[in-house]
Amino acid sequence: MDFLLRLEQSGFATWVREGGTIWGYPFILFCHTLGLGTLAGVNGSIDLRILGFAPQVPLAPLKRFFPLLWGAFAVTAASGTALLIADAATKLASPVFYVKMVFVALAIANLQMLKTQVFANPRLDEHDVPGSARLLAATSLLFWIAATTAGRLMAYLGPVSGLQ
Amino acid sequence: MNTPHVHLLLNHVPTVGTVIAVALLILSFIRKTDGLRRVSLELFCVIALITLPAYLSGLGTALQFEQNPDVVKAIMDRHHDAAVFGSIFMVLTGAAAWLCLWQRRRLGRSSGAMIGTVLVLSVLTVAAMARTASLGGEIRHPEILLDPEAAAAVTAEVAPSFMSAAAIAQFVTGHTWVWPTMEALHFIGLWLLFGVVMLVNLRMLGMMKSASFAAVHRLLPWAVLGLGINLTTGMMFVLGAPGQYLENIAFFWKMGLLLLAGLDVLYLTVFDAPWAVGPGDEAPPLEKAMAASALAMWVGVMYFGRMLPFIGNAF
Repeated sequence: MDFLLRLEQSGFATWVREGGTIWGYPFILFCHTLGLGTLAGVNGSIDLRILGFAPQVPLAPLKRFFPLLWGAFAVTAASGTALLIADAATKLASPVFYVKMVFVALAIANLQMLKTQVFANPRLDEHDVPGSARLLAATSLLFWIAATTAGRLMAYLGPVSGLQ
Repeated sequence: MNTPHVHLLLNHVPTVGTVIAVALLILSFIRKTDGLRRVSLELFCVIALITLPAYLSGLGTALQFEQNPDVVKAIMDRHHDAAVFGSIFMVLTGAAAWLCLWQRRRLGRSSGAMIGTVLVLSVLTVAAMARTASLGGEIRHPEILLDPEAAAAVTAEVAPSFMSAAAIAQFVTGHTWVWPTMEALHFIGLWLLFGVVMLVNLRMLGMMKSASFAAVHRLLPWAVLGLGINLTTGMMFVLGAPGQYLENIAFFWKMGLLLLAGLDVLYLTVFDAPWAVGPGDEAPPLEKAMAASALAMWVGVMYFGRMLPFIGNAF
C-alpha cells in the first residue's frame, strides 16, 4: 500500500494524472476499455457457446482464443495498474475497488479452470458438454458482469477522485 | 452544412422510408413474393440505423434554437416528444426486422409471429412518425397551423407522459442511482457486443477456420442484444445531458462509426458472400477486408466513446 502511495508521487503517475495530453490518462483508459472488452467479451462468447448457443461451432478450436485472452488480460492489467498508481490514495480507500479486484481474480481463475478442465480434453466435441463445464461458463459470465459493474461504480460510490 | 441542415436532410428517411417499407411488406403478402419481403425487412433495418442521426441532429438543432425568438419552444418540445416515441418504435421495428432476417438464415424462413410483430410495430411507427413530421413542420411553417393561437399555447401531450423527453431526462438526472446503473449496463453491453463481433470477424480473418460462418452467425443475436442495451442506456445519457454529447466532436465520430459498424452487422446477415464460407474455408480477400474494417470501426466506436470527456470541452 505504502509502495503504491509512494508511486502516486512518481513522475510517471504525475504525468498520467496531470500531463494534460490525450496520451496520458485518456489513452490509458481507452486501453483498459479495449482490453476488458476483448477479455470479458470473447470469454463471454465462449461461455455462451459452452452453455449451448451456436451449437454448430466446434468447441475445441475455441482454445485458439486463449492467447488473445491472456494478451487482453495483460493490456487490461498493465493499463489498470497505471490508472491505479495515478490515483492510488483514492482508489485504495474505496471498498468498491476491492470488490472489483475480488471479482476480476475470480473471473481469471475461472478462465484458467475453463482451460484446464474443459479445453484440455481433445475429444471435447465428441460428447455432450458436461454439467461442470456449463457451471464454469455460467459463473464466468456472472464474475465478469460483477467485475464490470464494480469497476464502473468506482466512479460513483465511496471516495471518488476528480479523474473521469 | 450545419446541424439543422443535416436534420432536414435525414428526417425524411424515417417518415417517407417507413411508409415505403410498410407498403413493400404488405405488397409481399398480396403478391406472395419472398424477394419483396426480404427487401422490406432490410429497408427497416437501414431506416432504423438512419433514425439515430435523424433524431440526434434534431436534438442538436433544438439545443441551438432553444433561445431563438422565432420558434415557440413548446411546439419544438411537442415535436421532440413525438420524435422520442417514434424513434423508439422505429428502432424496435428495425430490431424485429433484423431478427426476421436472422431467422431466415437460421430456419430458412421467418416465423409468422416475427413477421406479424414487424408489421404491427411498423404500422405504429408510420403513425408515430407521421405525427412527428407534422408537428416538426409546425415549428417553422405557421401557414400550416390550423389555429396559430392555440399552437402558441400548446401543452398537449403527444406521447404517454412517462415517455416524453422531459420525463426521461427527469428520471435520469433526478435519481442518483440511475446514471451509475446505466453506466454499468452500458459497459456490460459493450463487451457482450464487442466479444461476439470479434469472434465472428476473427473467424473471417482465419482464426478457428473449422467453424463455418453459418455456425458463428448464430451468436450474432447476442451482439444485437448488447447493441440494444447500449442504444437504450446511451439514449438515456443523451436525454439526461444533451449538451454533453451533441456539442462534442467525439460523439459525432462515435455515432458515425456506429452507423457504419451497424451496417456491417446487417451485411453479415443479408449478403451471401460471407455465407459461402464453410467449415475449413479460407474467406475471400474482400470478406477479410470487410471483417478487418468492421473490427476497426467497433474499436473506433469504443475509442471515441471513451474520449467523450477528454476531446472537446463539452463535459
